[in-house]
Order: sequence, then C-alpha cells, then structure tokens
Amino acid sequence: MVSGCLAKVVFSDAKHNFLIHYLAAVLLLLAAPIVFGFSGLDERMAAMPMEMISPVIGMILMTPVFMPEQNESIYDVVKSKKTSHTLVCFLRIILSAAITALLVSALALYMRSSDSQVTARLFVSTLGSALALGALGTFFAAVGDNAVIGYMVSVSYLVMDLFMRTKLKKFDLFTFTDGGTKVNPWLFAAAAVLVLAALIWRKYRK
Amino acid sequence: MLFLKECKKVARSLTFWIYCIILALMFFTNYYSDVRYGESRPSAYEQDYGTKVVEDPDLIMDGAINSLMGEFASNRYICYPFGFYKAVSLKDNDRNEVEKLIQELTGTDHEGISEFMDEAQVNYVEHALSTYPEYVFNTMIVDKNVSYERFKEIMGEIDDILGGGSLYAVDSLAFNFSRVPMTYEEALKEYEDSITADTMTGALSRLFCDYTGIDLALIPVFVAAAFTAADRRRRMTELVYSRKISSLRLTFTRYAALVTTMFIPVLITMIIAAVQASVVYSGEELKMHLMFTTPTFWLLPEIMVVTAVGMLVTEIFSAGVAVAVQGVWAFISLMSGSNELYGDITKFGLMCRHNTLYHRSAFMETYNDFVFNRIFYMILALVLVCAAAFIYNLKRGGRFNGIRLFGKGGILRRKA
Amino acid sequence: MDNKIVIRKMNKFYGSKQALFDIDLTIEQGMFGLLGRNGAGKTTLMKTLAAIHKKKNGKISVCGIPIEKESEIRAMTGYLPQDFSMYPNMKTDEALDYLGALSGIPKAERKKRVDSLLRKVNLNEHRHKKVKELSGGMKRRLGIAQALIHDPKVLIVDEPTAGLDPEERIRFRNLLCEVAENRIVILSTHIVADIEASCEQVAIMDSGKILWNGTVQQLLDNARGHIYTANVEKQFLPQIKKEYIVTGILPQNEFTTVRLVSDAEPDLPNAVMTEPDLEGAYMYCLHSSGCEVKGGEE
Repeated sequence: MVSGCLAKVVFSDAKHNFLIHYLAAVLLLLAAPIVFGFSGLDERMAAMPMEMISPVIGMILMTPVFMPEQNESIYDVVKSKKTSHTLVCFLRIILSAAITALLVSALALYMRSSDSQVTARLFVSTLGSALALGALGTFFAAVGDNAVIGYMVSVSYLVMDLFMRTKLKKFDLFTFTDGGTKVNPWLFAAAAVLVLAALIWRKYRK
Repeated sequence: MLFLKECKKVARSLTFWIYCIILALMFFTNYYSDVRYGESRPSAYEQDYGTKVVEDPDLIMDGAINSLMGEFASNRYICYPFGFYKAVSLKDNDRNEVEKLIQELTGTDHEGISEFMDEAQVNYVEHALSTYPEYVFNTMIVDKNVSYERFKEIMGEIDDILGGGSLYAVDSLAFNFSRVPMTYEEALKEYEDSITADTMTGALSRLFCDYTGIDLALIPVFVAAAFTAADRRRRMTELVYSRKISSLRLTFTRYAALVTTMFIPVLITMIIAAVQASVVYSGEELKMHLMFTTPTFWLLPEIMVVTAVGMLVTEIFSAGVAVAVQGVWAFISLMSGSNELYGDITKFGLMCRHNTLYHRSAFMETYNDFVFNRIFYMILALVLVCAAAFIYNLKRGGRFNGIRLFGKGGILRRKA
Repeated sequence: MDNKIVIRKMNKFYGSKQALFDIDLTIEQGMFGLLGRNGAGKTTLMKTLAAIHKKKNGKISVCGIPIEKESEIRAMTGYLPQDFSMYPNMKTDEALDYLGALSGIPKAERKKRVDSLLRKVNLNEHRHKKVKELSGGMKRRLGIAQALIHDPKVLIVDEPTAGLDPEERIRFRNLLCEVAENRIVILSTHIVADIEASCEQVAIMDSGKILWNGTVQQLLDNARGHIYTANVEKQFLPQIKKEYIVTGILPQNEFTTVRLVSDAEPDLPNAVMTEPDLEGAYMYCLHSSGCEVKGGEE
C-alpha cells in the first residue's frame, strides 16, 4: 500500500512537474549527432562526445528535483502530509538518476552500433560524470532554494572543467578524454555526498 | 533614483553573487596563474621556433588536392563542425558531386580519377572496432587552368557538402596546408613586437579578455534572466505594470543596472590584473591604460549582448528558455573557433579568442574585424533591448502573454 | 483516546528571535477560533501544531500523541495553509489524488474519497480544470478538500476566508461547521465575523502570547460595561478618535453615530452603554491586556 502510494506520487510528479526536463534531455541526445561524430571512434575519441553530453543530461534531469516546491505555499501543503517530503525528493532523485543512466546507455549503444569502441569502463565512468554534475546541481538548487542557482553552478563547473581539465584532478569530469583509463570512483562518491547533503539541507532548512 | 535602486536589486540577488564567485574562480585559476612567468626571449640556438601560416597558393593547392584525393578515395573525411571530431562518409549522390569537383580541379574525368586511385598507396588502419583503407596521395597537382580563386570556390563547395568544419573550409586552408617553420629572426621579431609595440600590458590584456570572455558569453544570462523573471515570480507584475513609468524607460533602466553591476566584478579583476602586471613586470615599460581600455572595449559589448538576449528571451518565453538559447549560442561560439586559439576573431563571432601572450601580429591582422565585431554587438544589444521593451509594453497592455510551451494557450498543450 | 490538543509552556524561536512565548492552551473537540492581528503568531502556532515547524521547548500533545512523533501527528492532522497553492499544471482531481497518495491512502479508497470530497466542496464540475485555472474561492475549497482527504481528527485552517466574497465566506464557514462534528477544528483568522458565526471557544493572541482564552460568551461578558455608542457632530470625530478606541462610525444626517470601547463611561453628551459585540469585545481585550490599539485614530 505504501509503495503503491509512493509510486503514484513519484510518477505523478514526473508527469506534471518534470516532463519538460525529460523532453529537453531527449532532445539534446537527438541533436547530438549534428555536433559530434559517433562512428568509427576508438575509446579515447568516443570519450569526447560521451563525456561532453552525459554530464549535461545529468544536470538537466537532476537539478530541478526541488523545483515544484519552490513556491512556499505548496511546500507547506506537502510538508504537512504523512509521507515524508524528504523521501519523495529522494525518490525523485533516484528516478532522475535512473533516466540519466537510461539515456547515457542509449547513447553508448548507439555509438557501439556505429562502430565506436565504447567499453564498459568508459560507460561506467561517463555515468559517474553525469551523476556527479547532476548532483552538484541538485545540491546548489537545495541550498539556493532555486533551480536556476543549481543550473548556474553546474554549468559553470562544466565550463571551468573544460579549461582546467586535469587540474581538477579527482573531480575532472572528462576522465577518459584526458587520457585516463580507469573508472573514477570519486565522481560517484561526490554524487552520493552531494545528494545526501542536499536532502539533509532541505529537511532541516527551517 | 531608479537606476541606483535597480543596481541594488541586482547586487543583492544570489545569482549575481554566484556570478562574481565564478568570475573570480576563472580569473584566479586560469589567467592569474598563467601570467606569473612570461616566456623568455628566443635563443639563436633553438631547433624549433614554431610555425607560421603563409598564404602560399601553390603550397595550399598541392596540400589540399592530395588530402582531398586521399579522403575521397577512403570516403572518410575528418571534420570538426563544432570543434569536435566527426568522420563524415558521403552518400552516393554527394560523393558524385565531390568527384565532379575533383575532376575539375585535376582536369581529368572519371576514368582518370579511378587510375589515380589504383596507383595510390593504401594503408589499412585499425580504428576502433574496424579497419578501413587509407589512401595516400603525394603527387597530385591542380590543373593549371584552375585559378586560385576558382580553387577556393571549389573548396568552399566541398566543405558545404561535408557539413562544414572540414580541412577544406576556405578560412582554414592556409592553416591546414600552408604552415612553414619560423626562423630565429621571425621568432625574435614576434617576441619583441609583443612586448614593445604595446608592451606586456597589451599582451596581458588580450589574454585577460580571452579568459574572461568565455565566462561572459554565458554566465550573465543567468543573472539577467532571473532578474527579468523576478517580478512574475514574486507576483508583482500587476503592481509594476500599473505604474506611471514608461516601458522603454523601465526596461532600459533595468538593463543599464544589470550591465553596470555585472561589469563591476570584471573591473575589479582588471584592477587585480593590472596590479599583478606591475609587480611581475616591474622595471619594464608598461602601458597600464591598456589593462583597462582593451578589456572594456572587448568585454563590455559581450556583457551587453548576453544580457540583452537574456532579457528579451525571458520576456517572450521564460528564464529557462533564455538560459538554454544563450547556452547553445555560447557553446557554438566556443567550439567552432579555429584550431589556433589566437587571432580567432571574426566579424560576427560572439567570443574573440586570443589565448596567448604572443602572436600580436595575428591579432592585428584581424583588428578591423575585431572593431567591427564589438561595435556590431553593442548596437545589436541596444536593438534587442528595444525589442524587449516593446514586448514588455505589449504584455503590460494585455496584448501579449508570452509564449508558453504547456498550459493554457501553450504551443504544446496536451488535451485535457 | 484523548480528543483534545494540550499545549503547555510552549516556546518557539526563529533563530534568535522568539515568536511564541509560554503558550498554554487546551483545545477540545469542536470549532476553536484563534483570533489576533497580523503578526500575532497565529500562523506560527498553526504550523507548529501541524508538525511543520519545531518548538523550542514545552509540551504539545495531539489526541494523546506527543508532537515529536511527526509522522503520526501528520497522519491525523489536516492542514490548510494561509496561502494555499498546488502544482499549477495538475488537474483538480489529480491534485487531490496526489495529496491523498501523500497521505498514504490506498488507491481504491482514494478514488472514492476524491469523488465524494469534490462533491462535498462543490468542485465536481471543475474536476478536470487545472489548478491554475481555478478562482480564489475554488482553490480554497480544494484546499479544504485536501485537508480532509485522510479523514483527520484535527483540522487546522489558517485564515481560510481571507480574500473571499461574502457568499464564499458563508459557504466556507458552513462547510467547516459540518466537518467540526467529531473533530477538533482550529480556525485562525483576523475576521471576527468568522469566529462569531462558528466558534464556541476562542483564544486571542498578540505578539506571540495568548492574551485570553475561553468561550465566546465569556469574551463578550468580559467586555460588558465597556462598549458604548454616542451621537456626535462630525467636527469632533478626530478628537474622539484620539481619546477613545472607536470600533464603528455610522454617518447619519446631522450626526455621526460612533461605537467605542472605554474603561469608564466616556465624557460624551449622549453616550449610551451598549450590549457588546465580538469585535468590540476583542478590541477591549487587546486594550485591557496593555496592547497598543489603534481603533480609527489618524
């Protein structure tokens, strides 16, 4: 019964509050072949489009999870209900992360079918980049109580990383493009920490 | 005074403070750390002084025709339409188009082309999950009857067929096929030119503008969009609409407040850069005014146009759409620049790139384009703000409610 | 089980600023009015009872359950905030269904309740409209419906009739009275007429403190002997406003009838003691508690 209610809440949210973000992420994916070549790329070359597109997808999907309750009046109503609002937000984040993973997988499969060397380690590493940047947006959206702040910080981090690259060391989103060959667990850890911090901030913000 | 009140509003917004932090981070992590130590004067005993681009028609035509034949034969053209690698393979009708153009360039027919391909050296290249034949041509020449002008036209057509960003783009021909090694004397002249003609401060100001310009192509739109959308968010639109002030005056006042306030942190970084220059290069002749005049003329139009786009698109659509539109424009501008990150200045490019302390001559070659570009964007910005004021006035009179994707009256409205 | 809310020496802070001071209240079943001016602390108290805000110290129990057990409290409390809003793109029935799901009601039961509540609050024919297309009164009705969807023991409504037209206000009050059977309904308002029409018990708040607590009749009795009417010439009005708390002004042909609150008989030629109304009783309560009262003075 509880899971049925939660499922209803999460999917209702997805339909009414986040549909436009899902569409934007899908549109980005469909427009990617205009900018990037996907065929006949070795692992390092394949990393370029993957590590460029995937973090943006993560950012688009994960940053707006608190947006529906930016209106204080709506926040009061949902907070007064039995189901913990923090739990609802957590499930939204899980759903966004899952859709991010789905879209990144679709990209990887498409590239593989176009004769590109998208290895399992590249795929996993790219997923880490996507979740890390998405979680950064989530965290700052929570702290600033505004999705615009979340987008601003995560876009700026992406641009800064484009120029600083290996200077960001463990938090460089372009691991394989910059010559790495191993999955970077720090990005996954950062994603987890930022999401947790965002949820804790939201829970205790008043 | 309304202008000062609006400036205070901007200065108090969270988006503005994040803008300041991002600007500061970029400044200190890129520019500030890069310019502590300038390059040293070239020595007469070095092996390599780099290369320079020369517009040598013979060199260009020789290099281009051999490269083109090789890619045509493999049907694999390396392109960078948006700065990212893309290997293009043409379909039959496009391939035939390209063949016709090669026939004109070489003065041969279809059989002649086939003969050339049969005689070519073939290497089998392992690439990703497959192997493809790579044809190598070294001895092809362009027919004497084809003038250099006609040659460039044909190259442009081929580049269009390939979708742009190929080796045959007219603007890139010299860079791709006509680079020659620099001599010691040339390298020395380049170095002295950079530090004497307009002193190190000229070079530093260009580098400063390059780095800062990257941020300013995107980040101001967040501040502008959030500020423009604030009335609606705080349910104050009717309160403001019903005031006496004209839409034009209100829009321009807010615009001026946004641009002025967002320029202040840029000015502060200019001051820090100037102080740094005076310390690092103390004892040398410096034209300190260049640390202020060049960045102002370089960067102010960029802030102006990005802010104007933010305001206009937010009025018509929403803050989210404004950010997305500017994001796409900034991305295209950043990635579709030339391979050389200096002297990369065109008449209509949003970002003017010069990511080096040297190659002043490359910058001076594009100086007219640079001046045109900045003035163009200043004027464009003012035109866009007028449009924003017009839209605001329509909304104020209830004649226009903005364009929404969803919801009542939305373009993509779902049926109830 | 206890069917009352007990608050003992409760204090609430926003950072270092104290918002509620030593609140002591017992709220029984039925309609309970919380009256006070803007900034008195009514909304803060309501939010604390709805377990949206945390108290600093003191004890609160709702039907025997301590307020610290947030999930249980929210399961039996329905809350309608002052500025009710819902996700604008959801349809009315979808919004109610969503909030029902948040209240943990299973699907089949939810469907029945959504249908019956929409009929009860007269929104059935608007069920397919989006929330942003509803008028203010309709939104408020949706608000009460969502507060009732899980059949709560306690209903907390914060200024529900502010901004509604007279017809909507009456309809709303009647609805609240209906649902107050077998429930505790706490109604906070600064509109005295709402209290008068529906509440048995009332508490008056000001500056975060409870000034008075008892029945409406007791409040009226408290003010007996302190409410007067007088016919005065228009030219003396400004002076009268300065000297007394004026709660009503009715211009007549030659004179103006004023209604005023005074500790003792006012020094006016034809002042007559009058049966107190709730508004006057409220003003007298504020005045006698030492609050600065501005009843019409310029």
